[in-house]
Amino acid sequence: MTAEEEHEKLLADLGRQLRIVAGREIYFDWEGFFWDPNDWDEEVATILARESGLDELTEAHWKVLRFIREYYFYHGRAPMNRHLKEGVHLSLGEIESLFPGGIRLGARRLAGLPNPKSCF
Amino acid sequence: MSGRLIYLDNAATSFPKPREVLDRMLQGYIELGVSPGRGSYDQALEAEDVVHGARKKLAIFFGAPDADRIIFAANATDALNIAFNGLLRPGDHVISTRLEHNSVLRPLYHFREMGWISYDLVHFDGKGFVDPGEIARNIKPNTRMVIVTHASNVLGSVQPVEEIGRVCSERGIPLIIDASQSAGKIPIDMTAWNVSAVAFTGHKALLGPTGIGGLAVRPDLDIKPSRFGGTGVDSRSPIHTVTFPHRLEAGTLNLIGIMGLSAGIDYIMHKGIESIHREEMALLKRLRDGLAGLEHVEMYCAGDLSGHVAVLTANVNGVSPEDAGAILDGDFNIAVRVGLHCAPLVHEDIGTINRGAVRFSPGIFNTPEDIDHAIRAMASMS
Repeated sequence: MTAEEEHEKLLADLGRQLRIVAGREIYFDWEGFFWDPNDWDEEVATILARESGLDELTEAHWKVLRFIREYYFYHGRAPMNRHLKEGVHLSLGEIESLFPGGIRLGARRLAGLPNPKSCF
Repeated sequence: MSGRLIYLDNAATSFPKPREVLDRMLQGYIELGVSPGRGSYDQALEAEDVVHGARKKLAIFFGAPDADRIIFAANATDALNIAFNGLLRPGDHVISTRLEHNSVLRPLYHFREMGWISYDLVHFDGKGFVDPGEIARNIKPNTRMVIVTHASNVLGSVQPVEEIGRVCSERGIPLIIDASQSAGKIPIDMTAWNVSAVAFTGHKALLGPTGIGGLAVRPDLDIKPSRFGGTGVDSRSPIHTVTFPHRLEAGTLNLIGIMGLSAGIDYIMHKGIESIHREEMALLKRLRDGLAGLEHVEMYCAGDLSGHVAVLTANVNGVSPEDAGAILDGDFNIAVRVGLHCAPLVHEDIGTINRGAVRFSPGIFNTPEDIDHAIRAMASMS
């Protein structure tokens, strides 16, 4: 097996999956999180939202998604809970209700951030 | 939202630490922050006295016969590694349980992958307890060790160590307990219980800082050293010191950590371990009773809290544990631990392996109002 093949196998083992979304080839992880946050755009987010049961992304949704992305690219990490709450002027409970899948599997995933590394 | 952080993650590490502990660490290190036992000047000898005093205190605390066999380590995981590396040999068999933390599971897995050992993990029942008879049934001629968590870090259930100790003692097999969640919460008597070694950490219920823990060893347990180096004694010899405690300690000790651990034990002894346990369990029962009234909350092995320490794990239907934790933190200023708690087999067995659960672990500085606030927070997630 070449080094490149070994690398590809490792990525596959980590659950990397290729999908065509909005005519583009995009890699996602095993839970549907973007492999590369730079692959995100609003059209892709809209399609993924529809798949998750959100027919329309309202201004409230976009406010959350844009804040998460801006924070991520500025700080290099997802917003802390209090920063998210202050940044979008919504409680965490309200954000949870806004997205099917809630904060992590809903908002964070649709914002194109990578899967958080937590104790799983 | 309450302005004060309501900290319910004491099973991860106790917070805040008693002021007395922090003061004694700082003052002790200001006055005596030299290398203990490594010099002939008075302060080095005094520092060594502090270390030996802590060993004596821990020996009494754990019912250990010999203070020189209180081995300092970085934490319980480190202490368990000292035990595994010092005891296990190729061909050995080990018995443990599915309640274990990765501090036990991963070393066992590692040694099995190396081809050194085999092991069996005993199941726990629907209330979170291991049957000592099941441990007896798994004993083989080559069983070298039984290693059991004293209290589950997910369910809070305290295991019948005394009965397990009897099983092991009758067969001449060393019993090691992981006391990470029990030391400082409930009394431990390794001599009376036939426990050969107790692995403990200083930063949880012993109220010390992170970075200090240890292994209390009975004299009849022959643990080989697995790390080697300077001990401050026998320096001319190329062979690592054979006498305890230096046999299992290499390099300069964590003096400020030992000072904090020693102060934490003093704090516990002054307050009374039974009193601490009673107060924490009253808080846990209040939490359990409050959550029991919420239809959208599911708890695990919390029906009967007798034989538990103050740990309770739950989930909110329709809300992932990590989101529940985020809401508790962001909207209610409540700190809990979510996920698998480094104990994946427990979550496998209670059916929460996919996303884990939310763990509440009140400590000595929590109040009934904190618990009521947590119940209201959980109620809001319906």
